[in-house]
Amino acid sequence: MSVSEPSVILRTTEVSKSFGKFLALNNITAEFERGVITSIIGPNGAGKSTYFNLLSGAFAPSRGRVEFEGRDVTHLPQHRFAHLGIAKSFQITNIFPQLTVRENVRVGLQAFVSRYDIWRPRASLPGLVERADALLAMVGLQDRRERRACDLAHGEQRALEIGMALAANPKLLLLDEPTAGMSPEETRVMMDLIVKLAGERTVILVEHKMKLVMGISQRVMVLHHGELLAQGTPAEVRQNEQVKRVYLGQREH
Amino acid sequence: MAGLSFDLIALQLFTGLALGAIYVLFAIGLSLIFGMLTVVNFAHGAFYMVGAYVGLFLVSMGGNFWLCLVAVPLAVGSCGMLVERFLVRPLYGRGIDYPLLLTFGLSYIMVELVRIAFGTSGYPFDTPDLLQGAVDIGVGYFPLYRLFVIGATALVLLALWLFLERTSFGLIIRAGARDPQIVRVLGVDVGRVWLIVFGIGTAIAGFAGLLAAPLQGVIPEMGSTILAEAFVVTVVGGMGSIGGAVLAGLLVGIVVSMTSLFAPEMAKVSIFALMAIVLLIRPQGFFGRAGLMS
Amino acid sequence: MSEITMAPSSTASTSWLDLARRHRVLLASGFVLVFPLVMPFTALAVNILIYGLYALGFNLLFGYLGLLSFGHAALFGTGAYVCGIAIVHFGLPWYAAIVLGVLGALAMAALIGGLAIRTRGIYFAMVTMALAQCAYYLFYQAVGWTGGENGLRGINVRNINLFGLTFDFINPLTRYYVVAACVIAAFFMLSRILASPFGAVIEAVRENEARARASGYNVVATRLITFILSGGFCGLAGALAALHLSIVPIEILHYETSGMVVMMSLLGGMGTFFGPFVGAGVFLLLENLVSLWTVHWQLVVGAVFVACVLFFPAGIWGTLLNRMKP
Repeated sequence: MSVSEPSVILRTTEVSKSFGKFLALNNITAEFERGVITSIIGPNGAGKSTYFNLLSGAFAPSRGRVEFEGRDVTHLPQHRFAHLGIAKSFQITNIFPQLTVRENVRVGLQAFVSRYDIWRPRASLPGLVERADALLAMVGLQDRRERRACDLAHGEQRALEIGMALAANPKLLLLDEPTAGMSPEETRVMMDLIVKLAGERTVILVEHKMKLVMGISQRVMVLHHGELLAQGTPAEVRQNEQVKRVYLGQREH
Repeated sequence: MAGLSFDLIALQLFTGLALGAIYVLFAIGLSLIFGMLTVVNFAHGAFYMVGAYVGLFLVSMGGNFWLCLVAVPLAVGSCGMLVERFLVRPLYGRGIDYPLLLTFGLSYIMVELVRIAFGTSGYPFDTPDLLQGAVDIGVGYFPLYRLFVIGATALVLLALWLFLERTSFGLIIRAGARDPQIVRVLGVDVGRVWLIVFGIGTAIAGFAGLLAAPLQGVIPEMGSTILAEAFVVTVVGGMGSIGGAVLAGLLVGIVVSMTSLFAPEMAKVSIFALMAIVLLIRPQGFFGRAGLMS
Repeated sequence: MSEITMAPSSTASTSWLDLARRHRVLLASGFVLVFPLVMPFTALAVNILIYGLYALGFNLLFGYLGLLSFGHAALFGTGAYVCGIAIVHFGLPWYAAIVLGVLGALAMAALIGGLAIRTRGIYFAMVTMALAQCAYYLFYQAVGWTGGENGLRGINVRNINLFGLTFDFINPLTRYYVVAACVIAAFFMLSRILASPFGAVIEAVRENEARARASGYNVVATRLITFILSGGFCGLAGALAALHLSIVPIEILHYETSGMVVMMSLLGGMGTFFGPFVGAGVFLLLENLVSLWTVHWQLVVGAVFVACVLFFPAGIWGTLLNRMKP
């Protein structure tokens, strides 16, 4: 981490989100530190996904501000986020089903090279295919690169999504329940992958399996009924009385 | 402006209401079907046209207009239910465009069948005896039939409102219109709901066609013109919104009639200008769900 | 459905299919060049080319991007009217008129697209239909320019002067090859677009709009640009239609012309390079053949279309292509 870079990479200030009369998020102020893996957890319906969508620019808050590296991104259109260095994966697998695995990643890389060229053959864009293959190797999909994305197993598709997110060479990686629908073995593989990729990057992870994230996170935020219940290190959060009350009686995964 | 009195404007407003009433009936059926089935019924105009022709046929066989008011929606609605059950429903899950394409193809077939049965040139439709003549509504004489159209529409709206608000089936429809998934989750037989909603929607369209017949005559192409205009109504009012369909339908009718007072050549174009404005400043319409628009 | 990015097959038997795909412009051009030799009426062949081009433009938007428009008559018709007006009212030569026709259609597409583009999916179909209907009323009113109800008449192009040679445009075969030249140019242009980086964006947006957005693509801009490009092809087809018919009837802007291209596209096979021509051919051949028995050919075409929607959504060419793969 260089001295000139601020230590807070993402900040939300008093953000609230209402859908009609329903208040999904209420007044959440939080800071995310650069280079750190932060997990956002909470029971189902706590507002995690809504908060995640806010952080990743899917919609704007009803109130409040979102800042990335000090810059106000509250009303920035979603497609600009990748260009700032923010990449996301979705809760429900979102890939390009009929395209090949390699093309899925290549087209993600292409977004930073050429978006509107209608004349030149894309095969002539230098290096995209090689870089795509390298990213696929990083997430363990190099042997599947010629297959159609929709023909992949569920766990492989989730890995592909991570690969596509990496195509943006992101400073900030936002992952929404990356292990959803995975077997324990697949979950372990995914978690190892996330730790491996975190490295220099900032990762914000949304999960509802608390036990899972405690091991890899450096910071944890707990949401409940759309409000910020607690935040701190995993140890601090685990000791928190309110958190214990909320999770009491809930089976730990 | 010389010659333009308050009375004239008021009368023209009433004409607009009568015209708007037809739009309202047409657009409500579209909105109902879209709200519940997420299908844009491109055959809606054809059902409207068929309603007019069924009325023409019944009258020519010696039936009276009042009989038609009941028989036409029943006949057209039954057709609609058959279409939903055997043509639209198999396409569920195929992709959002397919039901639309199907209804579009169906409209071709329906129009051509009517041409075969009744010829291509169309017919006039006599205003029923009891409804002929004009009535003094205070600002001048206004055709009685047009008052009837306004009144009949109001009655249909009332009946629909009662059905939606006061019956358990109406509750299901309202819930489904807000969130199509919820109907499934509640364990309701979705197929039956779709069938009935499609039937009601097309029945109302047929009824609108019958009401419109004495005003503009009956030709096989009458459905496609009103379809385009009804799309304006749904954009302005918001797709899937009944209240929006009512307000927007009346608004569009009034815009057309008022424009024809000042600049008759621009009357038809004026509603598209209205639509363009709405698209620019509030693309989801006045009452539409924002989620339908990106 | 994607032609460039689909996984190449591992079996040798379809390697010729991949070969064909790579040289599709050449193959399509070759077919177009020999086509009049198999058609009994050259005028019909010209029509198939023109409407095939119309469907080609439409297919870029519907087949490749996945956006259904019911207002493409406005683009086809604008191309026709602007070309006709250039000749009738301004006495411009045929090639200038064609270029102006295309430019006019591009402008109309920018206008309609600009208004409609923020609506999505099924809503888009409605809005484009309504806007095209508006264009119909406007052109109808502008009697001085367009001839109103009677259409624009007198688009008489006799001689085509190219490279010092004079061709007689009245001769059906000459006419066919002039139109074919434009169509082949369009094939080439379309192929470039599909193989370009933008072509990949079009497919990505079709496959998953949310993911395309998250990857950094402006989906609205992509849609608008594709709509305009599509309009250019349709406008070219319209301009050629004006030259071929020598008149532009007001019905060209009617809803039915929009519906026609939708049918042709689906009949032929959406998202395939050659499907639109197959669709146009089948549609026009059906019209001509069925008209020999009954004036109600629309009933037959409508029924065939409904059957395709229900049972053969890949269209004739699309189903054929699918059968040829393992």
